[in-house]
Amino acid sequence: MTSDRREFLKKLGIGVGLASVAGQGLASLRSLVPNVSYDAPTVVKLGIPAEFPEGMKFLPEQRLFVFREGNVFHAISAVCTHLGCTVRAEALSSPVVKKVGGTELRLTHRFLCPCHGSQYTGDGQNVAGPAPRPLEWWALSIAPDDGQLVVDLAKPVERSFRLTTA
Amino acid sequence: MAVLPTVPPEAPRTAPGVHLRRLWSVRPASDREAGDAIVANFILHWFPARSLKESMEWRYSLWLGTISTALLALLVASGIPLLFLHIPSVERAYGSVKDIENVVTFGSWMRAVHRLGAHLMVATVFLHLVRVFLTGAYKNGVGRGQNREWNWVIGVVMFLVTLFLSFTGYLLPWDQLAYWAVTVGTNIASAVPLVGAQMRELLLGGRAIDQPTLTRFHVLHVIVLPGVLGVLFAYHMWRIRKDGGLARADHATRLPAPAEVPAERTRTKTYSLLGVARGQGPLIRASSVERPETTVSSVPELTRRVALVMLGTVAVISILAVFVPSPLEEPANPLVTPNPAKAPWYFLWLQEIVTDTTIRIGSFTVNGALVGGVILPGLLVALLVVWPWLDRSPAAAAGRWFPRSRRTQNAVFLVIVAIVLLLTIVGTFSRGPYWHLYWPWQAWPEMPTRF
Repeated sequence: MTSDRREFLKKLGIGVGLASVAGQGLASLRSLVPNVSYDAPTVVKLGIPAEFPEGMKFLPEQRLFVFREGNVFHAISAVCTHLGCTVRAEALSSPVVKKVGGTELRLTHRFLCPCHGSQYTGDGQNVAGPAPRPLEWWALSIAPDDGQLVVDLAKPVERSFRLTTA
Repeated sequence: MAVLPTVPPEAPRTAPGVHLRRLWSVRPASDREAGDAIVANFILHWFPARSLKESMEWRYSLWLGTISTALLALLVASGIPLLFLHIPSVERAYGSVKDIENVVTFGSWMRAVHRLGAHLMVATVFLHLVRVFLTGAYKNGVGRGQNREWNWVIGVVMFLVTLFLSFTGYLLPWDQLAYWAVTVGTNIASAVPLVGAQMRELLLGGRAIDQPTLTRFHVLHVIVLPGVLGVLFAYHMWRIRKDGGLARADHATRLPAPAEVPAERTRTKTYSLLGVARGQGPLIRASSVERPETTVSSVPELTRRVALVMLGTVAVISILAVFVPSPLEEPANPLVTPNPAKAPWYFLWLQEIVTDTTIRIGSFTVNGALVGGVILPGLLVALLVVWPWLDRSPAAAAGRWFPRSRRTQNAVFLVIVAIVLLLTIVGTFSRGPYWHLYWPWQAWPEMPTRF
């Protein structure tokens, strides 16, 4: 009996010790996984639509290209789909008209990535280099309160997306 | 009156293993003193009392491990003042490095020493790995109980830690190089299937690159990784002695003895003189090893060489650092990716392969980040780790440069090394804006730096 108890207490002691070590380790690791995100919000007001220039505007803070043709808007992400560098827009010598998502789009630029040489056409389609996917298109909307253009950087949309303002 | 006999005061006895002489001689007058110098000394843990002359040959090991050690020591030493001066905050890190560079007395020199030391350490640790492979020094020789494969594995891990130390180090100035290296590096991590996104978040301390990111890489660079490397280094050294010295020693036992070996010395005995406790170490049939003609006292023969190599390394870096300035790019700017955005030279071959390995089969695409950033380097490391168990060459091939029996594997290894070097050279000299290929002598086109 005594030897059983001794055996049991020994195992208990070792078990508690090992569990403590494991617990400390897990707690240390878990504490490094953030519970609260202080990231910038993904829904951002960009300004009054009427103030956007005709053609393309690059918004570095949002890593975003906003395109305007009259009162029709769409927005393409500037984040390369390969490894996340910011692509640069290069103006085409002559604009190309391409059917994108059912409607014709006048493409004035193409996009090039400085990190690994990916290339995209003006609608974000990947055409060369290591990029595995086209650039994201983000949802645009009009803020109900002040009429500003709003982008949702967490809401990808089809390439047929167009926002027509009044 | 009784006269007590005068008893001479008894000298205090020494406990077994404790030596009376507190200081040991660097210039021992006798073998006895030379042995004492090791036994009474911390170096006992590392060096045997007597060392094989052949193991100390410059042309065998090229002393690359010792040079790497010297660089590690120098990096720790030069890192401490930088640690006092660098401020690990995203707002102030860049300014503090600029101050180190331009305001602090000797600051730019210390930073250059630290930076050059790091670059050189990557190179020497890699060359050390190449040397060990080519000489088959991870192979067990004639000793019983040798386990050199494990020391090779430890060495591979130390090489990876060295690379990760460099990576975390060049992030600390928080300049453009740092910011975009973190962007690309952590996106490669997130290309790992299943756990990738979580790994990236753990590395960044959030979903975007910010203060938690810098804090994490700073702590890794100054505490975690140096600690890991220090422990692995100690183990690496200890294993060398447990394995009966360098593989060169096994090679030496196979050579004909320089003088006729007396009969009683040919019996099986341990490597005791070469460093392991009697009966614990590998057993070899001693022929030429341990003979006075083939070995020398480690103090001063080995210690002097080690001191020479270490001081020489420090001197070379100190002088180079005067002439080679350390670059500092523009402050980190999340809004603009530099064009081209190049990694340091030792990662350029990886930058090349992540560029070239996006695979498209019909509409199915595998990102080059996964193939070139995770799978290929992972395979190379895995191959390095298991190679000692795949290498079926005879034990006689251990500790020799380019033995015939290892000709094919050495050739394949060198071809892989050459490919890595070639990609590094292409990345360094032939990649221009938008990562286009240019000849080194070809001028790059003018690129707007801003929109």
